[in-house]
Amino acid sequence: MGTILLCEDSLEGIFTGIYKAYERKENHTECKLQAGEIENYQLFAEYVRVQREEELAKKVSRTICRDLGMEAYLCICQAIATEDKNKADAVYHTVVEGINCFKQSTISKNSSCSTFQFYGIMGNLTNPYVQKVFELSRSAGNEIMRMKEILRFRELENGILFAKIGPKCNVLSFIAPHFADRLPLENFVIYDHLRHLFVVHPAKQDWFIVTGEHFDKEITERFSEKEKEYEALFTHFCHTIAIRERKNLNLQRQMLPLRFRDYMVEF
Amino acid sequence: MDAISTVNRENLIIQKDSGLSIMEKLEILSDSAKYDVACTSSGVERKGDGTGIGNTVSAGICHSFATDGRCISLLKVLFTNECIYDCKYCINRKSNDVRRTSFTPQEICDLTIEFYRRNYIEGLFLSSGIINNPNYTSELIYEALYKLRYEYRFQGYIHVKTIPGTDPVLVEKLGYLADRMSINLELPTAEGLKRLAPNKHRKTILTPMRQIQNGINNNKNELAVYNHASQFVPAGQSTQVIVGATPETDYEIINVAENLYQKFDLKRVFYSAFVKVNEDKELPALAGGPPLLREHRLYQADWLLRFYGFQAKELLSEERPNFNILLDPKCDWALRHLELFPVEINRADYQILLRIPGIGVKSAKRIIRARRSSKVEFEDLKKMGVVLKRALYFITCNGKMMYNTKIEEDYITRNLLNVKEKLPFDVNGVTYRQLSLFDDKTFTESQPVAEVVGEDEMERIQKKIIRVS
Ligand code: SF4
Repeated sequence: MGTILLCEDSLEGIFTGIYKAYERKENHTECKLQAGEIENYQLFAEYVRVQREEELAKKVSRTICRDLGMEAYLCICQAIATEDKNKADAVYHTVVEGINCFKQSTISKNSSCSTFQFYGIMGNLTNPYVQKVFELSRSAGNEIMRMKEILRFRELENGILFAKIGPKCNVLSFIAPHFADRLPLENFVIYDHLRHLFVVHPAKQDWFIVTGEHFDKEITERFSEKEKEYEALFTHFCHTIAIRERKNLNLQRQMLPLRFRDYMVEF
Repeated sequence: MDAISTVNRENLIIQKDSGLSIMEKLEILSDSAKYDVACTSSGVERKGDGTGIGNTVSAGICHSFATDGRCISLLKVLFTNECIYDCKYCINRKSNDVRRTSFTPQEICDLTIEFYRRNYIEGLFLSSGIINNPNYTSELIYEALYKLRYEYRFQGYIHVKTIPGTDPVLVEKLGYLADRMSINLELPTAEGLKRLAPNKHRKTILTPMRQIQNGINNNKNELAVYNHASQFVPAGQSTQVIVGATPETDYEIINVAENLYQKFDLKRVFYSAFVKVNEDKELPALAGGPPLLREHRLYQADWLLRFYGFQAKELLSEERPNFNILLDPKCDWALRHLELFPVEINRADYQILLRIPGIGVKSAKRIIRARRSSKVEFEDLKKMGVVLKRALYFITCNGKMMYNTKIEEDYITRNLLNVKEKLPFDVNGVTYRQLSLFDDKTFTESQPVAEVVGEDEMERIQKKIIRVS
């Protein structure tokens, strides 16, 4: 009979879950970690709810960074940003595998985990959990990159740059540093309207994340005078820059799926 | 401001276009810039310093896609479409009757900054016709870039085109403001150039190219000694060759490219299928429109030269001077070298893996990674991005072929032709994601776009792998 740990669907929640799983000192193959709510109730499993605890989560994240390396840590964080139902379990068992390999590699240089010494745990693509984390992080990575491409700021009457996005996974904390680095002197806000999350960046200060469904939508629809002019200029630019003799709308669609265009001023 | 600037800046901008709005200018000056195919913003990673606006990402970022499927990454405009030269293939040639205009340096800055802060672009790609003379034009460009870098503290990407015939001192000064510089070779051979661009000479193109190359190398040494030295063309230089306007063969073209990579350390050679914009008896008719398939094959071959360890003479020869229309250059090569196959996936070294059709840089890298911990099977290959329907004729996994297939040229050719090649264009168009990406995609179709790494990153990874294997 296995144990299913239920944790909150967040980085801290899942990391706390991993801590608790280790604390139980059970065989890891008998234990599953599930983020969010129970989907299919399993009759012969023991369910244990885990409350998120910042301190424990921090410990786990430090361990991952130290023993599995930064590349693996980034993959894991990206995997957790997806909406996949089994992500928590994949991450948990990847961490277990990673820590085992780390221990073995410190004992013997010729262990079966020799990939680990060269590439870290994410090189171990024949392990199904690692493979799952790899795939998830790849799909989150795609979405993160897409948002850096297609996000469009619009200048509001009050001078704030405002962007609305609707990504497939929770990308905000991955894209915020990118924009904060590029636009240090701007006041900007990025709004994920599917999750009701905001990144707020006041000029020359650090960014932070705010949650909430209620905000003054009207302000975000009042644009500065220059805004319309620049949108028109860019839209026009996108048309003139195309070579008529090479027109290919199918390809344009392939490169830029339609779902993104609602957010782009030039379409 | 500086010794070279002897012209009176107030009078620089031609008065006759004063009636044009910024919209009209942008229309004219982007319309005439569009035939330059390079739109990548890749090759340099730079954080912002917090005092201005912008940074750069080494893989580059495509912000939008135009109706021809090409990526929009930079504000690609001419400074002016005035020109004293008469290149026969160019819409801006002196003898054409087109609306002429120029930006002011201030207008360039406003457009770049306002587009950049809205996340429309990664930066500026500034090219130009020649107004009065090459130095005069280059000074205007210098003024715009200087303003952008120092007044606006713009730290995004700048690609500037060198005007042939510009004073070397000025070229050098531009090099400290730009991330990438390029000077177009235009036609693959000196004869071609003479015929179609009578005012340009091979020498005025290659001299600045050499100067920039030396500048980059010297700067690397300086940077190693004083880490505060400013960077000279950190994203390297590139060039563009027009394909199909003159009668050179593919073999001649890839030899030229190979030379440019080896002797001039170019980052990229871009190939541009000739688009006929002028009627001129010297220009070919091109009934089928721009030679897109040919251009595509050249990009594939270019990729093989840069990342797969191929040499031009392995791909083509005097006797076989053009690429196969039906097969990509790598399949074509493999079919002519069946004696080297099949290759055992669990043993072959990296360089050999790269030569297998259906295996790209990334999948080869993953194979090397994965087989350190366990034997790789056919089903693993698929997950690693190998295009099995292409690779299966050329490989074994643990001594076994995937199916009972024959290693025989006609048989494999027939089967490979049944696997429809995904061309990046259908009836009449080609597309580019930053080109470095699109080629990789062609070789390993299942690569997700975002996974693609930048040129530098790619080289770094390759070096790492070669060391390991
Ligand atoms: S120099 Fe030649 S190619 Fe360049 S703008 Fe003038 S006519 Fe066109």
